[in-house]
Amino acid sequence: MAILEVNNIRKSFGRNHVLRGIDFTLEQGEVLSIIGSSGSGKTTLLRCLNSLEFADEGQIVVNGDTIFDASINKRPSEAELRQKRLHFGLVFQNFNLFPQYSVLENVTLAPKLLKKDSKEAIEKYALELIESVGLKDKVNSYPCELSGGQQQRVAIARALAMKPNILCFDEPTSALDPELTGEVLKVIRSLADKHMTMIIVTHEMMFAHDVSDKIIFMDGGVIAEHGGPEILDNPTSERLKAFLTSF
Amino acid sequence: MDSFTEQFPIVFQALNVGFLQTLKLFGVTLLGAIPLGLLISFGSMSKFKPLSSLVRILVWIIRGTPLMLQLLIIFYFPGLVFGKQLWGGGESGRFIASAIAFIINYACYFSEIYRGGIQGVPHGQTEAGLVLGLSRSQIFFRVTLLQMIKRIVPPMSNEIITLVKDTSLARIIALQEIIWAGQAFMKGSHGISGAIWPLFFTGVYYLAFSGLLTLLFGWVEKKLSYFKA
Repeated sequence: MAILEVNNIRKSFGRNHVLRGIDFTLEQGEVLSIIGSSGSGKTTLLRCLNSLEFADEGQIVVNGDTIFDASINKRPSEAELRQKRLHFGLVFQNFNLFPQYSVLENVTLAPKLLKKDSKEAIEKYALELIESVGLKDKVNSYPCELSGGQQQRVAIARALAMKPNILCFDEPTSALDPELTGEVLKVIRSLADKHMTMIIVTHEMMFAHDVSDKIIFMDGGVIAEHGGPEILDNPTSERLKAFLTSF
Repeated sequence: MDSFTEQFPIVFQALNVGFLQTLKLFGVTLLGAIPLGLLISFGSMSKFKPLSSLVRILVWIIRGTPLMLQLLIIFYFPGLVFGKQLWGGGESGRFIASAIAFIINYACYFSEIYRGGIQGVPHGQTEAGLVLGLSRSQIFFRVTLLQMIKRIVPPMSNEIITLVKDTSLARIIALQEIIWAGQAFMKGSHGISGAIWPLFFTGVYYLAFSGLLTLLFGWVEKKLSYFKA
């Protein structure tokens, strides 16, 4: 059974139809990259998955549990919504670390507030995560003392601390200097090696090619082409061909 | 009593009494205006248009007219219109009227500072809290509040230091604050008359107090300088 089923997601902002019927499934441990030019709806799709936006139509099913169904008019309560969000983690383009907290505090804040575990266990796990993203010596630093690449790696550790089923990345390297993208991509790659289920919105075509099990090319709010990484070598649609030659 | 050394203890005593009234007005204004300003800022940011428009018009009127005029209106208006001294007579009545005028006036200024502080925290901070499963109140108290405070400390310290000196405007309705106390020695008080130095000397009190506040706010800013928001 698929860990994620997305059925016919549609979303408009006023008269701007951003998503016009998105369907896909994802298996446990798979890495999905979503590519496409800006304005094609990639970010909106991620935001719908994370309940930051609500689709006008469609369903989202995680592990057989329908976490979103637009045909049910009743809006979920805040508590229900919080539960549903926890299936997903989201790493933002511009990190959004909490500036007043140290690296360790950023990673432990949510698990502690939501009492996911004992204080000691939360801290122990957080330290493991921080070490796994290569920032053991920055545990007590504040975000303003870190480079963009380091901040993004903390953001990844922070998202992992909530043990999400599916980790989403919204252009995780787009706000970084080119020499800093490598360290972030390396962390994402190591998560893929550990079979973390991930959805990555990215403009890094080489990376998407290497790390993904599936690739979705979005254009104008629909999936214009999808398949394995080989679609980047041999695109069949004219639109994907045109998109790839722009790189 | 013509010599300065004879006058000084008497003047010092009287100015202290006046300054106590200044401090009282200062403290009561902060106590009232800091929370009222928050309510007004929420009102001005309300998605309910009639409320936000109404609040913004109120803020425009209060910030667009002199505080001295507001003091005079609040003090005299009830008596002139209803023929009744709503605030009661004497010094306590004058204090109540002054406090009301100052609280309303400063709450409007504070509300604009709060609004800037609240809207200045990037929405990404709230979204980061949401995707981690935090509740709205956890996000407010544990994520955004301190960032807002950091943003509003410099403009708030500016307003609060202005308030120290603005309290002297209550002189216009004869509140017996320090300017009133200093001026009394020109006309004659405690056996001293025609002395202008006590009025000038009130400046020392203002300087000392605003200096103290400057140090305090500098310390707070430094405490919050460990992060960038």
